[in-house]
Amino acid sequence: MRHGRRALFPLVRHALLLAWTAVTLFPIYWMVMTSFKHAGEWVTWPPRWFPHEPTLVNYVKILTPGTSTFELGRQTLKILKPIGDSLIVSGVGSLLAVALGSALAYSWARFGTGGRNYPYNILSIRMVPPIVIAVPFVVYFVTLRLLDTYTGLILVYVATCLPYVIWMMLAFVEEVPVELERAARLMGASRLRVLRSVVLPLTASGLVVTFLFVFILNWSELLLAITLTNTEVSTLPITLNKFQSANEGRDYGPQAAIGTLATLPVVVMGFLIQKHLLRGFSFGLLRK
Amino acid sequence: MASIRIERLTKVFGATRAVDGIDLAIPDGEFVVLVGPSGCGKTTTLNMIAGLDTPTSGDIWIGDARVTDWEPGERNLGMVFQSLALFPHMTVFDNIAFPLRIKRAAPEAIAARVRAVSDTVHVGHLLDKRPATLSGGEAQRVALARTLIVQPSVFLMDEPLSSLDAKLRVEMRTELKRLHAALRSTFVYVTHDQAEAMTMADRIVVMHQGRIQQVGRPLEVYSDPVNRFVAGFFGVPAMNFVEGELRPEPEGARFVAQALRVTLPGYRGGSAPAVLGVRPEHVRLADGRESWPATVSLVEPLGDETLVFLDYGGPSSLVAKVDAEEKVAVGDRRSLTFRLDRVVLFDGKTGGRIPG
Repeated sequence: MRHGRRALFPLVRHALLLAWTAVTLFPIYWMVMTSFKHAGEWVTWPPRWFPHEPTLVNYVKILTPGTSTFELGRQTLKILKPIGDSLIVSGVGSLLAVALGSALAYSWARFGTGGRNYPYNILSIRMVPPIVIAVPFVVYFVTLRLLDTYTGLILVYVATCLPYVIWMMLAFVEEVPVELERAARLMGASRLRVLRSVVLPLTASGLVVTFLFVFILNWSELLLAITLTNTEVSTLPITLNKFQSANEGRDYGPQAAIGTLATLPVVVMGFLIQKHLLRGFSFGLLRK
Repeated sequence: MASIRIERLTKVFGATRAVDGIDLAIPDGEFVVLVGPSGCGKTTTLNMIAGLDTPTSGDIWIGDARVTDWEPGERNLGMVFQSLALFPHMTVFDNIAFPLRIKRAAPEAIAARVRAVSDTVHVGHLLDKRPATLSGGEAQRVALARTLIVQPSVFLMDEPLSSLDAKLRVEMRTELKRLHAALRSTFVYVTHDQAEAMTMADRIVVMHQGRIQQVGRPLEVYSDPVNRFVAGFFGVPAMNFVEGELRPEPEGARFVAQALRVTLPGYRGGSAPAVLGVRPEHVRLADGRESWPATVSLVEPLGDETLVFLDYGGPSSLVAKVDAEEKVAVGDRRSLTFRLDRVVLFDGKTGGRIPG
């Protein structure tokens, strides 16, 4: 009997996990399928699990140049520019945040810059919900002429990401034994050389993981983007959101296509993070 | 090659005086061991010599130069760390070559030098490996090679053997001693292990609570300790201490404790609380001019010698180290005596040695 029960338990566990996976993945599955369907199949009953005639028409619609088209009373937004805007804002914002945040993390970990409570103070930025700071930001940004500009949104993204970067990089920097840096210094290496030859190679995985993490955050950020931009800058989440307020009728196919395209990089990065997280922490093999 | 001079060196961390105004002169070519319990300031002292910690006050001289404010890299030192501090992302070759690359040596010169040095410490076959794949002893040698490659005038070592198993530790001890004999450089070695200090040092510097307690040759420190701390720190098993009182006598003094009275001819002075110290090898199971009855409570054979724990009626038992041939069994009634010329006395209050 014991043997039978032992064989049964993993079976039940796997069945439950599979069921849960199906529940979580279903909306994504439905979105991807819809993006390949003709207009007639978007809302049919009973639902069609697979597109009857798979088509790329939705992708063609959204990927053509321009800002938007009206067709049969439906407004279809084009996403080439939003994709570019999202890449610029998320990419530059994340890069700057990682550069500044990792420098801060290093200097705090090694020299106590800013005092003992510095990382906690920085963390308090995240304790204010974005909705609270969004409107005051508008006021400042009007004065500073930063409203609806790349610079403005990038600055906000850097500020909101810094706490994440600092806290993640703290963990990675603290994995590097101080003695390694001391040994290099004794051999005559300058502080910059120590950073380049010892600290950077040992925290490289951490930098990649942190960058991907904040990039995903920025990539999908909606509230601040929608408040602080208008027509000049328009990121993917904003564009996706605009379909909900389209004049009449819902343009589900192109919307699903945008959703699919917006999800792709995040999924790819998710896999990358997984690989790097493993590598990032494997230096725990260091002799201590 | 270089001598080291330390003058009134002090390091304060917050409210702790880690190193409290120490003076020390280390002549060129000497093997000095800084020894003491953890937190005694020995590693902080070493780090200040290395330039990794900045002194709160005081001065450090290496050779004729006052190096107190110099960068670590400018002091021409080699250091082996407790963790060895091998760079995990570099091969053994790159680890050993690192100091030369910093100095921008030519690639051919680097390769030749790495090969020569790795052969002297027998790691020539490991050059392509990563530190994580090395055994403890191999990693130890690689760390040594990386230090040797620039031929520093002073070697600093911070408990470099503590990560090795007991057998390898003893082997590396001998090897370091040989290395010192071959290089004739100045070695400053930090350890908390009194056996390492005894076996390797030309001179031992005993530290406790940020101060130097005693400086001397190993046997000097062992047999002629300046205070109770030093006496108790060296020797396994530790020295026996008996608390009592010193009373003046016509010729010398008499030490009186519970169940023990010892006549000490050489001692002078008034009546005072005192602590008598006697090493286990100086406690004998025999009748002497003065001897006391005792019961054997525990026997620990070590092979070459045997440790015998004796209840003599005092607050704790005395340990005697006797020949392995000696027939002793738990419960035996034996007479015990001390080698009086090797007994030392300490002040009951300050712990300082009472000269006699």
